[in-house]
Amino acid sequence: MNQVLTPKDFTTNQEVRWCPGCGDYAILKSVRSTLAKIGRPPHEVVFVSGIGCAARFPYYVDSYGFHTIHGRAPAVATGVKLANPDLDVWVVGGDGDFLSIGGNHLLHALRRNMDLNLLLLNNAIYGLTKGQYSPTSSVGTRSPSTPGGSVDRPVNAALMALGAGARFVARSADTLQDHLPEVLTRAQAHKGASLVEIFQNCIVYNDAVWAGMATKAESVDKTIRVADGEPLLFGKERDKGLVFDSNSGRMQLTEEGGDAEKLATIHDETNWALACALSRMDDSSLPTSLGVLYCDPVSDYGSDQEASNGFSTLSRDDLHGLLHDGGTWEVEG
Amino acid sequence: MTYVVIENCIRCKYQDCVEVCPVDCFYEGENMLVIHPDECIDCGVCEPECPAEAIRPDSEDGLESWVKLNAKFSEIWPNITAKGDAPLDADNWMDKHGKLSELSEAPGIGG
Ligand SMILES: Cc1ncc(C[n+]2csc(CCOP(=O)(O)OP(=O)(O)O)c2C)c(N)n1
Ligand code: SF4
Ligand code: SF4
Ligand code: SF4
Ligand SMILES: [Mg+2]
Repeated sequence: MNQVLTPKDFTTNQEVRWCPGCGDYAILKSVRSTLAKIGRPPHEVVFVSGIGCAARFPYYVDSYGFHTIHGRAPAVATGVKLANPDLDVWVVGGDGDFLSIGGNHLLHALRRNMDLNLLLLNNAIYGLTKGQYSPTSSVGTRSPSTPGGSVDRPVNAALMALGAGARFVARSADTLQDHLPEVLTRAQAHKGASLVEIFQNCIVYNDAVWAGMATKAESVDKTIRVADGEPLLFGKERDKGLVFDSNSGRMQLTEEGGDAEKLATIHDETNWALACALSRMDDSSLPTSLGVLYCDPVSDYGSDQEASNGFSTLSRDDLHGLLHDGGTWEVEG
Repeated sequence: MTYVVIENCIRCKYQDCVEVCPVDCFYEGENMLVIHPDECIDCGVCEPECPAEAIRPDSEDGLESWVKLNAKFSEIWPNITAKGDAPLDADNWMDKHGKLSELSEAPGIGG
C-alpha cells in the first residue's frame, strides 16, 4: 500500500562518505524524493549495488539493501526479485561496475526483462579506485592506467541496452533536479527492466567531463529533453529541432531558417530505430538526448504466464527425475 | 539535511561559495548570502571554500534559527551564481560576533 512519505523516511543515520561536490549527492537527493513520492513503504523497497563509489548507495537509502560484489548486482537483484516479486528492486552501479566487470550481468538482466530499476551512475571513470579510465571514458583520457591517453573507443550505454533488448532506456544528469526525479518515476513505473543512465560528475578524478549537460545555462543548447508525442526541439528559444533521417538512420538538425517546430520529428517512445538514433548523436553539432528515449513494455519475466507455468508445473519428483534422467554416468575403474 | 549560511557571513559576504555549488542554490541579500534548503544537495563542497567559516551542515547543534533564516530569505532574495566583489571592509567584520543586528533584509543584486 502506498502512503504519505517524505525523503526523511528514506534517509539512514549513516554519514554520507562521498567527496565534497560529488554528483552522487545530487542523485541521492533525487532518489530519496522520488521514493517518497512513489510512496512504497521502505520495507518494500530494496537497493542492491556492486562495488564503487556509486555502489555505496544502499547505506544511504533507508530501505532493505545489499552491497554485493563487483559487477554482480544485477544477478543478486534477479535473485531478490525472483524470491519476492512484490518488492520494488533498484540496482545502482557505476560505469565500471555495470559495463566492465558487470557488463555481461547487465546484458542478461536487460534481455531477461525482470522488473528491476537499474541506475547507471556514469562518471566515465573508476572513482573508487582513484581514477582509472573506464569503458565510457572518451578516447585520449589520461589516467593512472592510461598515462599516455586511452585508445579504446567508449561504449554507448543506451545503445548497448537497446541492442540487448531493454524495453526502457532513459537518461538524465545528476544535478538536474527538475528532470531526474521524473525520469526515475517513469523507470520505477515501468514493468520490466528499466535502465537509467545518469551522467554524474566525479569532481576529483574526472571533473566537468559532462560539462554542458548539468548546468541550466549550457544545457539548453547541449542537450535535448525528449518527451513522448512532442516535437524534438531544443535551445533557449526552442528554435532548434531534430529530424530522423531514415536513409542514414541518424538524427539531423532541422534546416536553418526553417520552422523547427513544424519540421522536427515527433518523439515516439516505442520507436526503437528513433531511440537508437537519439542515443548516438556523436556529432558535436548535435545535442545529447535526455529523458525517456525508449519505452515499449512487453510482459516482464515474473508475470510472463508461459514462463512461470514452466517453473511451477515442475513437481519435486519431476525435478528429481530430470536430474537423474540419463546423461549421467559413473566412470569406473 | 542541508547546509546553511550562519552569522559569520554578515558583512563579510566573500562569495567564494557561489561558484563551486553544483546546483546554484545560493541567494543574495544586501550583506549576506543564504542557501535554499530544498535545493541544496548536501554535497559539502562549499563549506571549506568560505574564508569566514560561515557554512555549516544543519546537523550541527544550535543552528535552528539559521535554518529558518536561510529558508525564509532564499524565497525572497535573488539567486546568485557568479562571484561578485566582497564589501570593501569585509575583513574588518571577519571575526566579529553578534552580527545578527547588522543583517540587512534588503535583497542583493543576484547574478
Ligand atoms: C573483483 C574486483 N575487481 C576489481 C575491484 C576493484 N574495483 C573496485 S571499484 C572498481 C571500479 C569502480 O568504478 P565504477 O563502477 O565506475 O564506480 P565509481 O567508483 O566510479 O562510482 C574497481 C575496478 C574489485 N573491488 N573487485
Ligand atoms: S572519487 Fe569521484 S565518484 Fe567517488 S566519491 Fe569522489 S567525487 Fe564521487
Ligand atoms: S563564502 Fe562565506 S562569507 Fe562569503 S558569501 Fe559565501 S558564505 Fe558568505
Ligand atoms: S552543500 Fe553543495 S549543494 Fe549545498 S550549498 Fe553547498 S555547494 Fe551547494
Ligand atoms: Mg565510474
